[in-house]
Parts: sequence; C-alpha cells; structure tokens
Amino acid sequence: MAVLGTSPRDIPRRRARSQRGTAWLLIAPALTLMVLILLVPILSALVLSFTDYSLAAPEVKWVGFDNYEKIFTRSSYEKMLWATFTYVVVVVPISVGLGLGAALLINSLARGKEIYKTIYFLPVMATLLAMAIVWELMLHPTIGTVNRTLQMGCGTVIERLWPWLGDGCANGMPLWLGDKDYALWVICFLGIWQGFGFNMVLYLAGLTGVPRDLYNAAEMDGARSGWERFRLVTWPALGPTTVFVVTITCIRAFQVFDTVEALFPQGGGPSKSAYMMMYAIYEKGIKQNLIGIGSAITMLFLIFVMIITIIQRRLTERKVHYS
Amino acid sequence: MKRISEFFKHALLLVGALIVIVPFYQMVSYSLKSPAEIERGIGGFMGAQELMVDERCVGSSMPDRADVEAARGDYPNLTDTDILGALVEKLRASCMVRPAVFNYTSAFKEAPLMRYLLNGMIVTGSIFLLQVIVALPAAYALSKLKFWGRETVFGLVLFCLLIPVHAIALPLYIGLAKLGLINTYAALVVPWTISVFGIFLMRQFFMTVPDELIDAARMDGMGELSIVWRVMLPTAVPALLAFAIFSVVAHWNDYFWPRMVITGDRSLFTPPLGLREFKADIDGSLYGPMMATATVIVTPLIVAFLLAQRRFIEGITLSGMK
Repeated sequence: MAVLGTSPRDIPRRRARSQRGTAWLLIAPALTLMVLILLVPILSALVLSFTDYSLAAPEVKWVGFDNYEKIFTRSSYEKMLWATFTYVVVVVPISVGLGLGAALLINSLARGKEIYKTIYFLPVMATLLAMAIVWELMLHPTIGTVNRTLQMGCGTVIERLWPWLGDGCANGMPLWLGDKDYALWVICFLGIWQGFGFNMVLYLAGLTGVPRDLYNAAEMDGARSGWERFRLVTWPALGPTTVFVVTITCIRAFQVFDTVEALFPQGGGPSKSAYMMMYAIYEKGIKQNLIGIGSAITMLFLIFVMIITIIQRRLTERKVHYS
Repeated sequence: MKRISEFFKHALLLVGALIVIVPFYQMVSYSLKSPAEIERGIGGFMGAQELMVDERCVGSSMPDRADVEAARGDYPNLTDTDILGALVEKLRASCMVRPAVFNYTSAFKEAPLMRYLLNGMIVTGSIFLLQVIVALPAAYALSKLKFWGRETVFGLVLFCLLIPVHAIALPLYIGLAKLGLINTYAALVVPWTISVFGIFLMRQFFMTVPDELIDAARMDGMGELSIVWRVMLPTAVPALLAFAIFSVVAHWNDYFWPRMVITGDRSLFTPPLGLREFKADIDGSLYGPMMATATVIVTPLIVAFLLAQRRFIEGITLSGMK
C-alpha cells in the first residue's frame, strides 16, 4: 500500500478499519452464493448418498453404504465405470497429443498458421449437441457419408490391402451407433474431434513462452535434430502447460454427457457400452428419481475430479504463485 | 529439404482440417438440399434447388366441401371428385418451394426457433451479467483490500475451483425443486451466478493494477464500491472479455443443465434443448430442416469467433492459463 507522505499516522489505521467492513460487504454476495450453490450441495449429496431419498417420497431411509455397494457390484454400474474410464483413458492422451502435435506443426509453418488455427478451433465453439446430431447423420448406416465413402473403396485394391474394409464390403458396413463394438469408440472419437482444438490453443500460447535462446544453446550443445531440440527444450518448457491441459481435459472427459444423450436417447448405447457417469447421474437421479444412488455416483465423480486436480496442484505448485 | 518438410506439414494439417471441417460442410449442405437429394447423396453442396412440394403447406389448406362448391362455377363439366382433384393440383402447384427455403422456413415454423434463440440470449446474458456483478467486488476485495480472513476466503475460492458445477447438479436440482423453481428462467440462471473461476481470474488481473490508481481515487473521495465500478471495471476490460468468452460459449452450448431443469415447458427451451426436441419430433425424412436448425444454432458463436478470432484465442489463453 502506498504511503501518503504528509498524512497523519492514524489515517491509515482508521482506513484499515473501514476497509475491513467494506471488504466483507464486497465479498458477502460471492461468499453467500459460494456456500449455497457449491458447498451446501456437496454436503447434501454426501448425506443423500447414504439414503434412499427420492423427491415426493413420504419417508427417507438411511441405507448406509448400500448405494456405494451397488455401484461396485452391479453389472450396469460396472459398465458405467468401465465406459467412463475407457473414455477418459482414450480421449485424454489422444486429444492432448493431437493438440500438442497440431500446435507444434502450426507453430513451425512459414505460412498458413491462421487458417489451421481457425479450422481446428471451430468444433470448440460449435454447440456439441448440434454437431453430435450432424455426426449421427453422417454415421447413418445407409444414407450417411461415412459408410458411403467407405463403400467407394469396395472393389478396388484398397479392399484387399485393408481386411477390415474387405469384411465390410462383403458383410455390410458397420452400424456404428447401433453396434456395441463401435458405439463407445464413436463417442470417444467425437470427444477428441470436439476438444483437441482447445488444447492446441493452450499449447500455442505455451510455445510463445519458450525462450528462443534456449534453442540456440541446445544447438551449441549438439542438439541438431528437431527431435533432440523438442526433447531437450520444448517439452520441458511446456511442462506446466501440459499439466494444466491434461487436468482440464480429464475433468471435461469425466463430464461427457451431450453426445451420449443425443446419440443414445434410450440410454447408454447398445448394451450400455457407452453408459457414462454423467449420464448415469441424470438417468438415476432425474429420470428415475433414485436420488440416493445418483448422489453416490455424484460423490464418486467428485472424488475422481478432486484427485486429478490435487495432483495437478502438486505438480505445478512450484511454478505458480497465487499471491 | 525445407520445402519438402513444409509440404509434409501442410499435407498432415490438411488431412486433419478436412476431418474437422467435413461435419460443418455436411451440416450446411444438408440444410440446403431436398429430402430426395439427402437420401440419395446427390446434388453436390447446394443441391439442384429444384422446386419441391411443401407437404405441410398442402395439408394445412386442404380443400373441403365448401371450396368444391365455391369452385363449381370454374369447372362447369366436372364431377365433385374431379373438381377436388383439380383444386388439390392447384394447391400443390402453389405450395412449391425451393429446398433451401423449405428447410429454413420449416426450422423457424416447425419449432419456435426464434424463441429458443431469444431464450439463449436471455439466459447467457443474465448469467454473465450476474457473474460479473458478484465476482468483481469480491475480486477487488481479495486483491486490493487488507482484512482479517482474506486468506481464508481466498482459500475457499481455490477449493471451489475444484468443484465442477455439473457434478453437483443433482443436489442443486433438488434444491431448486424444493423452492418450486424447476421450469423457470431462475433455474437456468441461478446455479451459475457464482463463478469462482471469474473471481480467480479477476483477482489475478487486479493484482497487476497499481495501488496508486486506487489511492488516487480514494483521495478524490470515491467510496470503495464506486472504485470497483468506476476505476477497476474499466481497467479490467481485457480480462472481462476473456471471461465473457468463456461464460457465453459455455452457457450457449450447455445442454446438460437445461436438460435437467427444463422438463417440458417449450417456451423456456434454450437452443440446444430446442434442437434436441426437434430431433425427437420429426421422422427421419426431415433431415433438411433439422440441419437448418442446427446451422442456425451453431452460427452465432462461429460468426463471432470468425470476426474476432484473435481476441477469442487471446481470451481463451489469458483465462485458461492459471
């Protein structure tokens, strides 16, 4: 705080006292909302997860860990956990990798940077639900562009070189969304398609922060190939960016909902192969009014997200100063 | 050597760009074509735009007994059935439209799309406004005022950053249901009024504002609240813009939360909900109007992005990097 040269001693003190009051006044709305909208719900989810509460039910029974036990023993929840983790494990590395790859390639271009940036960022801006519906049409088994395009390869040499296509030509192209072997992968693909442009932008920002002279220094030390320069300079310099990108991609991946609900309105896809946590919370808690189990899934979800974020905090603690 | 590697980079990036852009191309293309062209995958980007009969137009003004009686004079030698046939023929001829026109007009007529867009603007607008009104004073206090408990409050903000609001949707839903707010605008807006991310972002930004500026304002006799709105707000425009981008994009595109709290009342639907409803309503042959709807919903943000690209990307970067 700047000291005002000629002012008497007690002015700052009086001001400090009045500042305290004003400060709490300024913070009060935010603090109240934070408690009511964020903290109270977490606590109530925790409490509700031990009950069989449902809206408009006459009584509530305490069921202990029953809800949690169900999640870890029943096959539909096992499928939920499996689908969610598969999604996270597939989508996070690929969309981070593609984001980084695209950023590096674009950054090294002599011309045309802007156009690629623009294109890759389009899906991030677009309403995911609308794009999911477009993809649904494109993946339509008979009139969709995807299968039509694949069919053009039938009867050509590609069919012989690519057994999967040959099989499709002989026995019909995949149903994509109707087939439990493909449904989850389609959802994963859409997640990657939609999100990697965001990572690209963050990486491009990270790249501008890599000191130029480090490259010269590395070159002097004998790092001649592009790969060596990447390994010795770029990658370490991008460390904090990577930690951040991985974290938010993880959290977003856990929250996948739009595509699942849009493409599988009956819920979770063919034989629940794409039954994601967020969808399960919605289905159990809202559609079926089973709030107890919905809350238990909520708690599990929160625990996953918090673990990821705390790991991130630990990893970046040395780099970031909040005050 | 250099040119070869540049060539390969472009080739690689072009393949990626193609995959990214094909759905957008398809969406716009389908929104222009006739059902037959979509069904058979013909017609290029625009379709032939040959006139087609708008069946809904025909169905809505089908000639009845009275019309036949009235038209008897025009067709002296025909039986009633033939007159009816002739009238239907005439009606069909008057109901011819170009596919592109058909798709877009059905998008607006079939579903109250204007209403959805208006709702989208109301909801995203009020969310952003309330977030700023709540976050800005808090961020100012946390960055520029000294008071007992400041560290605790800031710690709480950091903790709340861990909580994705979507994750606690269920208890929020119950709370709103208990208050009788399900199916109201309030349900769409209230849970988003607090943005800890906004507080955090603004605080980080205010930390860089020199104290002298605030002291000068105090010397001029300004109160703390007017300092927030008349001194801090103008300096915070770049950060606010970044935050606005985040907030508006997220809430315009949000589907999960509206799906939870708007159950059935179509007049409250936000654009994604409207699109979802439209999809459930129609049978498979009306892909054209559905794609027109999708185009209309996706366009505002895309256009904004294309117009202010640099700002957008800077904004995402500024607010994305903690």
